[in-house]
Amino acid sequence: MSSVKEQLIENLTEEDKVSQSKITIVGTGAVGMACAICILLKDLADELALVDVVTDKLKGETMDLQHGSLFFNTSKIVSGKDYSVSANSKLVIITAGARQQEGESRLNLVQRNVDIMKSIIPAIVQNSPDCKMLIVSNPVDILTYVVWKLSGLPATRVIGSGCNLDSARFRYLIGQKLGVHPSSCHGWIIGEHGDSSVPLWSGVNVAGVSLKSLDPNIGTDSDKDHWKNIHKEVVGSAYEIIKLKGYTSWGIGLSVTDLVKSILKNLRRVHPVSTMVKGSYGIKEEIFLSIPCVLGRNGVSDVVKVNLNSEEEALLKKSASTLWNVQKDLRF
Amino acid sequence: MSWTVGILRASQRAGTVRANFLCPAMALSPRPLAAIPLGGAWAVAATSKMATVKCELMKNFSSEEAVRNSKISIVGTGSVGMACAISILLKGLSDELALVDVDEGRLKGETMDLQHGSPFVKMPNIVSSRDYLVTANSSLVIITAGARQEKGETRLNLVQRNVAIFKLMMSNIVQYSPRCKLIVVSNPVDILTYVAWKLSAFPQNRVIGSGCNLDTARFRFLIGQRLSIHSESCHGWILGEHGDSSVPVWSGVNIAGVPLKELNLDIGTDKDPEQWKNVHRDVVASAYEIIKMKGYTSWAIGLSVADLTESILKNLRRVHPVSTRIKGLYGINEEVFLSVPCILGESGITDLIKVKLAPEEEAHLQKSAKTLWDIQKELKF
Repeated sequence: MSSVKEQLIENLTEEDKVSQSKITIVGTGAVGMACAICILLKDLADELALVDVVTDKLKGETMDLQHGSLFFNTSKIVSGKDYSVSANSKLVIITAGARQQEGESRLNLVQRNVDIMKSIIPAIVQNSPDCKMLIVSNPVDILTYVVWKLSGLPATRVIGSGCNLDSARFRYLIGQKLGVHPSSCHGWIIGEHGDSSVPLWSGVNVAGVSLKSLDPNIGTDSDKDHWKNIHKEVVGSAYEIIKLKGYTSWGIGLSVTDLVKSILKNLRRVHPVSTMVKGSYGIKEEIFLSIPCVLGRNGVSDVVKVNLNSEEEALLKKSASTLWNVQKDLRF
Repeated sequence: MSWTVGILRASQRAGTVRANFLCPAMALSPRPLAAIPLGGAWAVAATSKMATVKCELMKNFSSEEAVRNSKISIVGTGSVGMACAISILLKGLSDELALVDVDEGRLKGETMDLQHGSPFVKMPNIVSSRDYLVTANSSLVIITAGARQEKGETRLNLVQRNVAIFKLMMSNIVQYSPRCKLIVVSNPVDILTYVAWKLSAFPQNRVIGSGCNLDTARFRFLIGQRLSIHSESCHGWILGEHGDSSVPVWSGVNIAGVPLKELNLDIGTDKDPEQWKNVHRDVVASAYEIIKMKGYTSWAIGLSVADLTESILKNLRRVHPVSTRIKGLYGINEEVFLSVPCILGESGITDLIKVKLAPEEEAHLQKSAKTLWDIQKELKF
C-alpha cells in the first residue's frame, strides 16, 4: 500500500543535505530573534540553527519562524539545546548572555557573561572548527576578547559587532539633522562600543564633502550648532530605548545582518567592528576595539589605517585602558 | 516629540559672508491635499534654526512636499505589530511607516530602535504618535491592537470590549485616511473584521481580515515537511473561520497540479491510514503550542501580513485566503466574515474565487457563520 508521497514523487537522487551557508545563532532573546528574522528576510543563509538553554522559548521561536517558511527562502531551520545542531556553520552569532538592566553599564555585566561564554564556546568550535564568530553580547569588546581566548581561533575569525551599531545611529542622526537618508551620510565611530566611543569628526561627509571643512569647530564645545550632541545621543541611545521598551533589538539585528552579508558573500566592505588592535594606534594591550575592518569570507582580512588626530588617539588609548582594567581581572 | 515635523524652508541665502551665515527656517503649514479633511504628508527632518553646515553643504531647489504613495500605518506596537513592521521594512513595501499605540513609552522606544537600522535598509520615513494624525493619507492601515482574552472571559465579553476600542480607532483612522484599505489582524479576527466594517462604513472590498492566511501558510509548511518539498510548491487552502473551526479543503490540495486526493481517496478522513487529518489538527494547535512555549506568536503572522500588504500595495491581484463578507454564498444568510480565496489588489478585495465545497465543508461554514452571528447580533455599537 504505497503512500501518497511514493505515488506522487519519483526519487532520482539522494538529497544533498550539506548546507553551504549555514548560520547558527546562540541565544533566542530579542536580539537573537531580531538577527534571525533579518537574516531570513535578506536571504543570507540556506540553513539557520538556533541554540538556547531555555528549551520552551527556543522551540516556540523556531516553530514560529518555520511557520513563515512560505514567505522566505531558507529551507532548513533547526534548533536544540545541544551544539550538535550548529555543526558545519560558516558563521556563528553569539547573542547569549545576561542583559543590560536599566541604568546598568555594560562593564557591569562582564563576569556574568564570561561564565556563560565558557559553557558555549568550546562546543561551538568543536562542531564548526572553521567558522567565523560574531559576538554581539555585551560588553562586546571584552567578550570578543574572551571568546577569542576560549576558542583558540585566529583573531581574524573572531569579530565583535562593536561600533557597527553606534556608527549606524550616528549616521541616522546626521541624516535627520541634514534631511538626507542615512545611507548617504558617512561617519565613523570607533573604539569602545559604549560610553567611551570615539566619533571621527574629520571623516564625517556627504558626497565627499567633509562637514569639518564647512565648520572647523564641528564636534567641539565651541560649535554653535552642537554637533557634539549627536555623539552624546548615540552613546545614550541604548539606555534610552531600554528605558522606553525594555531592550533594543531592531537596530542591532539590522546592523548584525549587514555584517553577516559582508562575511558570507565575501563582499570585502569596510565596517567598524571590534578586532584585536594590539600594535596599532600605540596600543600595547591585547584588547579588542572597533576600527574600520575589511570583512570577507575569512573574517577580518585587513584593517584600514585611519589618521587620528592627537585627541582622537588619546581617546582611543583611554578606551583601551578602560577595557584592559576590566579584562585583567577576569577569571577564566 | 515622538514624531518629526517637516519644516519647509525658503532656499534664499541671507548673505554671502560665510562667517555670519544664517539660514532662515520658516515653518509653513502643509498644503491640504485635495479631498482630505486634515493635513497633508509630513516630511522628514527636524532642522535647527541655524544649521550652518547644512546650508553650506546643500543647495535646495524644491520645497515641495513629498507625496506618499504607499504609506502604511500599523496600529498596535506589540509583538504582532512590530513583526509586521520589520517584515514590511525588510521587504521595502512602503515609503512611509506610521506606528500608533496608546503606550507612548513603548511606541517611542520601538520607533527609535527601527530608525537606528536606517543605514542598512532602504528605510522609509518612520513616524509615530499616540495621535492618529500621523496616520494621515495611509494607503493601508494594519490593525493589531485590541483587548486580550482574560482568564475565564466569554468571547462575547471580549468582543464587546473590543467594539469599544475599535470605535475610537475606526473614527480616527477613517478621518485621516478615508480611502485606505484596512487589514484587521486582532482576534477574534472574523468578528473584528465585521466590527471594523460596520464602524468604518467602508465598502466591503476595503476591509480585509487576515483570517486564514496564516493557517494556510502553516498548512502548506506542514504538507511540505511530509513530502520534503518547499511549502511554496505545496498548494492547499484552509478556509472559513480562523481558528479551531477552520476548514481544510482536501480536494484542492495538490503538488504540480496532482491532487493528493486522487492518490489517496480517504485523505483527511478518519479512515486515512496516513492520517493526513493530523496536518490540519497541527495547524489548529499551532498557535496554542507556540503561545505555551514562547508566550505569543509573532514572526509567522508578521510575514503573512507583509505578504498581503505586498499584494495590495503593488496591485498584484494574487489570491489569498482572507476574511471577507460572505453573506449570500454557501447558503449563508448571516452578515458574517469568513475566509475564502480572494483576489487582492490596489482596491482591496476585488473578486473572490468560488470554491466548490463538499457538503460537509459547506455545512461546516454554515455552522461557523451561525456561531459568529450569535455573538455579533448581541453587540451594541
